Parts: sequence; structure tokens; C-alpha cells
Amino acid sequence: MSQFLEQIINGLVLGGIYALIAVGYTMVYGIIQLINFAHGEIFMFGAYFAFLCVTTFGLSFWFALPLSMSLCALMGMLIDFVAYRPLRNAPRLSALITAIGMSLVLQNLARLIWGARWRKFPAEATPALLTGNAISLPGGAQVSFLDIFIILLAVGLMIGLNRLIYLTKIGKAMRACAQNRVAANLMGIDTNRVITVTFAIGSALGAVAGVMVGLREVTEPAMGYYKGVAAFAAAVLGGIGNITGAMFGGVILGVAEALGAGYISSEYRLAIAYIIMILVIIFRPSGLLGKSTTTRA
Amino acid sequence: MILIGVVCLPLLTYGADRFVDLLYERDIVLPIPSGDYILRIVVQACLYMLLALGLNIVPGFTGLLDLGYVGFYLVGGYTAGLLMARLGWSYWIALPLAAIHGAIWGLLRGAPTLRLTGDYFAIVTFGFSELLFRVVKNEEWLIGGPNGFVNDIPPPTLFGYEIYKYWQQYYHILILLALTILVVYRLQNSRVGRAWAAIREDERAAESMGINLREYKSIAFAVSAAIGAVGGAFFAQFQVNISAGAFEFWESIFILCMIVLGGVGNIKGAIIGAGILASLGELLRIIPFGGARYLIFGIILILIMRFRPAGLLSMRQQN
Amino acid sequence: MKNRARSTVLLVICVVTFVMIMGFSLAGCENRNEIKIAVAGPFTGSVAAFGEMIKRGAELKAKEINAAGGVNGKTLTLLFEDDTGKEKEAGLVAQRIAGNRQILAVVGHFNSACSLAGKPIYQRAGIVELSPGSTNIKVCEGSDWTFRNLYRDDFQGAFVAKYIKNVLGENQKVVIFFDNDDYGRGLKDGFTEVAEQLGLEIIATEAYDRDNTDFKAQLTSIKAKHPHLIFISGLYSQAGLIASQAREAGITAQLFGADGVDSPDFLEIAGDAAEGTYVSTPFVFELGGPEAQRMAMAFEEAYGIAPDTWAALTYDAVGMIVEAIEKGGENRKAIRDHLASINSPEKGYTGITGLTYFDENGDCAKPAYVKIVENGRFVPAAEQMLGME
Repeated sequence: MSQFLEQIINGLVLGGIYALIAVGYTMVYGIIQLINFAHGEIFMFGAYFAFLCVTTFGLSFWFALPLSMSLCALMGMLIDFVAYRPLRNAPRLSALITAIGMSLVLQNLARLIWGARWRKFPAEATPALLTGNAISLPGGAQVSFLDIFIILLAVGLMIGLNRLIYLTKIGKAMRACAQNRVAANLMGIDTNRVITVTFAIGSALGAVAGVMVGLREVTEPAMGYYKGVAAFAAAVLGGIGNITGAMFGGVILGVAEALGAGYISSEYRLAIAYIIMILVIIFRPSGLLGKSTTTRA
Repeated sequence: MILIGVVCLPLLTYGADRFVDLLYERDIVLPIPSGDYILRIVVQACLYMLLALGLNIVPGFTGLLDLGYVGFYLVGGYTAGLLMARLGWSYWIALPLAAIHGAIWGLLRGAPTLRLTGDYFAIVTFGFSELLFRVVKNEEWLIGGPNGFVNDIPPPTLFGYEIYKYWQQYYHILILLALTILVVYRLQNSRVGRAWAAIREDERAAESMGINLREYKSIAFAVSAAIGAVGGAFFAQFQVNISAGAFEFWESIFILCMIVLGGVGNIKGAIIGAGILASLGELLRIIPFGGARYLIFGIILILIMRFRPAGLLSMRQQN
Repeated sequence: MKNRARSTVLLVICVVTFVMIMGFSLAGCENRNEIKIAVAGPFTGSVAAFGEMIKRGAELKAKEINAAGGVNGKTLTLLFEDDTGKEKEAGLVAQRIAGNRQILAVVGHFNSACSLAGKPIYQRAGIVELSPGSTNIKVCEGSDWTFRNLYRDDFQGAFVAKYIKNVLGENQKVVIFFDNDDYGRGLKDGFTEVAEQLGLEIIATEAYDRDNTDFKAQLTSIKAKHPHLIFISGLYSQAGLIASQAREAGITAQLFGADGVDSPDFLEIAGDAAEGTYVSTPFVFELGGPEAQRMAMAFEEAYGIAPDTWAALTYDAVGMIVEAIEKGGENRKAIRDHLASINSPEKGYTGITGLTYFDENGDCAKPAYVKIVENGRFVPAAEQMLGME
């Protein structure tokens, strides 16, 4: 029983991280129908920025986190401006290839700058709050403070994002663009600004996920690939373009991965999550919460 | 002219090699790469052309984004590899069997995905290829080695001669490529091809015009998968030792890049795109700073898309 | 017609530039006072961390050789060829090297899949491939031109199983946690086979993906089985992270790794969690004599970090090739013949990674040592099991 509870928590932590990344995919997709393959790399840069802040510049972690978020937001906007904006009206697949190229560039850039070694977040730079030992839950399950923090942070950010989308003016503009970009433009919405803001928010959330993974696991140039692909799958599972869907998709995929590895076969860890994803999509052809569309490649 | 060049390429490289040899004996070293190296690049580029043509059928002709093409490549590679290395079957039997096996998987994958569109189709194809990848990686009883290692795949024999030299492999892939071009070209300009185009342009309209979506999509999946499997079978005997690592997700993306670069749905475009991308990696070895090779690769991708958003040869140019 | 002429001209121009560019990148200006050796490995790509160490190990050795007067009075030049850890690229790299007649031998590749991809090419061209990193059983089989200076998976797996039984006791409940890639799987298979014969109780076998960094799900189910010992069959970065995540999850079992774990980075990533971990390895810097310690110092001075297993193995591999050139001759065949003649301990090459000599396959037989982590450092374990075959 305690094992099961621990696996669920493992899954929720993973799910929270996937959800944070998946939101970035789904928001961009919702507005410009682009699978932003470079998003996994932004996640990786987020981890590196925080790592550098605390090691090279000796900043406190609580300062490094928002700094990394803003740097990644800037990076997201810059990538959009340099690479994607010129292709706004080009065929969708062309923008996809640009995104793949961007992903290659960023990953190799990171490797050139920081080397390929894995970097563990220094223990002395980890805030005391998060280094605490495991706390025990009823039934004997143990959870670390960091895991709880990641789950809470993910939930908090998701709620915040949800409020932003549904209660603010820019959120309204984003929803309008997602429904019909041209019509939104005609209604006087500066679509380019909305897209920029979308990239900024998505990248900042990706950075949070990156910092958390750097803190919990490790920072390395290829880290964006594994989690990035899983998060993209989560976004599609939830219904691509749908933010709430991405959150659920992330959690489902994370829990499926943890339970699959724990109880079925660790050799097929992510594969089990993918099987569930495929089944869901086959029976719900536009994801869990997605609206049915007739988009094509 | 180009045709003659293509057919005589091994002769040219042979001649160049002997010329370099001649000078080498007189202590003059010409900075020319060996013919075998160039032929290997060309053979691999041709292999990618074949794969790009196969993939092109699904996103290019029917408009569905396929992110799991490497799955069929894998099926073909392992079917041929295992039949030849473990059971000692002839390549000439293994090759068509691989193609049939690939087509079966294409249909199997196609059946549940027929009503999916856009990126939902894409992610299911990705998940599918990832599952196949996991199976060859994990199931040692089936493959016979860890991590999908199949070793010492024997070269095919023709009239009692083993075909493994580069010039032989070159003609081998050239024939396969020519056949593929023929098949794809004939299909594109047939009733089937027109039905595909109709599906690509507007699925609903096509259906209401009496086109059986299920049937025509299935044909596309099967043909595309069979071509991928032929590529895999060729790769298996060309590479001699294969492992799961050759069939990673990146390969799907790489082949997709080729067809988009050349212009989606364009046969010539797919060939040119594959030729460029498959040799670009080697060309970029000239950069003295080796670590930047794939960084520049990425920049080139971005630049091409920036200035030729519809691909090098867009669909319009062909018509 | 005009169009056709234009495209022909274009094609010719393309081909000519292609050939020129490739050529210059291959040879540059010829210098007869140079001895050229290729070092092939994953210098970019997802396993680039290993490539970096291989490059440094090779560079350091070349620098020392040239400082000491070179090879037969000629300068030793290393050509680094990047296979990105992928077999498809490895095939191209192998042909690129094999077709360049100035290159006398190859040190590489790192990944077993890459070494295997290169094997038929090097064999047909007749050039030595000496791998400092490929451990798959098949790498050297059936080719006269392929050698390696580290153990096969099955040898090391068997060694670890015997050590556990002989030194750590009979009634061990063992969990194998393996890297789902050729190295981890091969080692696991070798270990399992012997462990079963010896009667070690393997209570679970779990896998992890090399590119994943979260092992909590597997560790949670390992924890529930209460093992005495976890054999981590994988590479140091992941092993370091596994050690730290295992301790965080409250697993107190003894950790045991193979040579893949033997790296200062393991200690750095695992931190305190590394304490008490056993590692089997082909060499111990402390026992490797003054030469090994001098190399470790020089390496750290040059690159700011301590060398790992592969840096040391590459260092020795370059040394072996150079010795073969000096003793055998300056051609590909002579190098092979010399390496093939190193077939007994008496004729063995003494490098910093211990004594290396080859069997008829080209696999190397080397004694294995066991190290343990104490106070954040690898030290030789109190009990060794030398001379075990």
C-alpha cells in the first residue's frame, strides 16, 4: 500500500513537470498551430540558467528561479521573433522544420558552452526548505519535501495560468487568437503581441520545470529531449491547444509512467504511457478535452 | 547527361582513386577523399532518397503528418536481418518478405488511425514507432542480442558472387531507388494518386465525391510502409551489424525534414531534399571546430525554411 | 536545352566543390614527418561526455609522446573523427578513415554499436581498430583487425558476481538495475548467468533509460523488495544519480557498479550517497604505480578534472598503437601483426590501466580490481580477487 502511494506521488511529480512543459507546447500550438520542438531545449536552458546563477554567480535559489524564468521568457520571445515570425503564413510543416532546426541549434549550443557533463545542483545552494528529509504519510509511504514542493508549485502555477487565461484581458486576447487568429486581428487585437506573450509565458513555465528537474535530478544538454517528447505527448493526449487538457494529460502520462515502471515493466516505462496515450486518442480522436478539428499537415 | 553521370559514378571514383595512387607513388599527395568514402555517402544518400519517397506518400500525397516512419524502416531491417543472420535465408527472399511484413504493419497501424487527423495522427504514429523500437531493444529472445544487436548479416549473393563492394551496393540501391521512383510516380498519376490528392485537399469533399477514404488511406499506408521496409532491408545488409540505435525517433524527424525541405508532395523535391540532408552532415565535417557540426546543420535548416518556406521545389513548380 | 546545360554545369560545379572541400578537410597539406592516427568517438551527441574524456586522454598521450621526441622521430598527429555515437555515422567515419591512406590505425570507437558498424569496413580495408570503450561480446569476434583494451561484458559480469559471492557473502539478495542499452544489458546478462550458477539470489531486475534522469519509480519498487545489494549495470552519470535518489528514497542496500561507474563524476553527482559503493575496474590509479599517478596529475593539470576510465584507456590505446608503430613498422599491416603478437602476459603492454594482452579474438584479458568509495574518494577495496579466471 505504501509502495502504491509512493508510486502515485512519483507519478504526480513527473506529471507536474510534464504538465508545466506541456502547457508551453499547447499554448503555442493553440495560437499558431506549431509544434514547437525547441520547447524542450528552453526547458533545458532554464535548468542551466538556474544552475549558473547559483554556482557561478552565487545567487540565492529563490532569486535564481525567477531570473531563469525571465531569461527563458526572453529566449522564447527571441526565438519566435527570429525563427517563427517570418514563417507565420508559410505551410505548417515548414515552421515545424524550423522548430526542429532551432532545437538542434540550441542543444548543440548548450553542449558547446557548458560541455556534455552532467551537473548536479550543489547541495549547499539548495534552499533548506527543500532539502528536508522524507516525511512519512499514513501507511508508511515516504515523500520528500522537494517532491511535495514540485507538486504544489505545479498546481499553483496551473491555477494561476488558468486565472490569467480566463480573467485577464491578455488572456481573453489569447483565447480569441486561438479561436481564429485572423478574426482576432480584425477585431483590433495585436496578434503578434499576443503570440509573443504566449511564447514568454510558455517558456517561463518550461523554465520552472527545468529548474525543478535540475534540482531534483540533474542538468545536462540532452535533458530536453526525453521529457520534451513525453510532455508533447501529454499535450496531445489532453487535446492539443487546450490548456486544461495539457495539465490532465501531463498528470495522466506521469502517473501511467510511474505505475507502469513500478508494476508492469521498467523496460517499457514510457512505452506503457504511450500505449495509454494511443488508446485514449483512438477512442477520443481529438484528445481528452480537445475540440474536434479538421487541421491537416 | 546527369543520367550518364549517375550510372558511371563508380567508374569515376575508381579512376580518381587510381590517379591518386599513381601520384602517391611519386610522392605527390592529392587532397581527394577516397572513392569508397564518396560512394558510401552516395549510397546512404540514395537510401534516404528511397525512404523520403516512401514517407512522402503519407504527408505529401494524403496530407497526414507521419512522425513514426522509422517504425517501418525498423520492421524491414529486422525482418531481413534476422532472416538472413539467424536463419541463413537469401537476401532475395528476405527483401520481398520484409516489404510484405512492413506493409502488414502499415495496415495494422492504419486501421485504428483512419479517423484521426492532424497532430493526433502524428502522435499515434510516433507512439507506434516508439513501441516497435522498445520491442527490439528489450526482447532479447527475439533479436538474439542486447539492445537489438543483430550481428554479421551476410551479404546478398548474385550468381554465386557476394555483393558487398561499394560499387555493387551502389547499383543495388540505384535499382531499388529506380523501382521506387517508378512505383511512386505511377501511383501519383493514377486513379489512386488523384484520390489521395483529393483526400489531402479536403477529406470531406473527397468522401462525398464517392472516394472510399478507408480504402485509399490504407493503400497509402501500406505502400509507404513497404517502401520503408525495403529501405530497412537494404540498410541491414549494407551495415552488416545493426542495433536498435539506428532506428531512433530522430530518424523519422530527419526523413521528414528531407521531404519538407524538398517540397512536400513533390517526388523530385523528396529526392533533392534527401540528397542534400543526407550528405550535409558529412560535408560539414570540414568545420575545424567539430562540435559545431550539428549546430550549423540546424542553422541551415532554419535558413532554407526562412527563404524557401514552401520547400526547394514547391508543389506548384512541378505542375 | 538551355536549362539542361545549366543544370549540368551546376551539377559539375557542385561535385567539384564537394570533392575539393572534402579533400581539404581530409588531408590538408601533406607532411611526411607526421604519423597520423585517427581517434573515433562520440564527440557530439547524447554521449558526448564520454567523447570529451576520450579526446582528452588521447590528446594528453600525444602531447607527451611528441614532447619526448615523437614516433621514430616523427610528429604524432591525431585526427579526431566524430561518430556522434550513432552507427550510421560510424559507418561513414570508418570509411572516411579507412580510405585515407595516411592514417595508420584507429583508436575507437566508444559505443559497441559504432565499433561493430566499423568492424567490416576496417576489416575489408585492413586497418587496426583498437577500441577503448566497446564491451559488447561480439565486437572483436571474427575480425583480425579489431582489438580492445578493456573487458568484455560477460567477463566483468562474471567477475562482479563471483566477487559478491566470495567477499560479500553467500546469502545476498541482489537487485540488478541496468541501463537499457548495449553496455548495461550485456553486463546484466553476463552477471545473471554466473550469479545463477553461483546461487546468488536475484530478486528483481529493473531497467532504466539512458536519457532519463528520474529513477524514482523503479527505486520505489526496488525498495519494497528489501535487497541487500543493488548491482548498477550502467554508466557513471546515471549511476551517480541512482545512488543519490536511492538514498533519498531510503534504500540502504549496498551499491555495486562496474567499470562504467568508475569516474570522478560518479562521486560528484552522487555526493555523500556514493559512500561505500563498490566498483569493479580494470585499474586503480593508486595501484597502477607512479606512472598512473603521474598521468592523473598531468591530466588534472591540463583539463581541470580528474581522468575517468575511458580517458585512461584511450591514453593507453594511443600508447599501444605508437608502440606497435615503433616496434612493428609504419604501415597498417605491421601494426596489426604487432598487436596480434601481444598474446601473453609476458609480452603484454604495461600502461597506466595495467597489463594489456590479447586473446585470439583481439579481446583483452586484464586483471580486475575492486574499489570502494571512502570519504568521497575511490580507494582499493581491502579484499581483491586477483588471478581469478
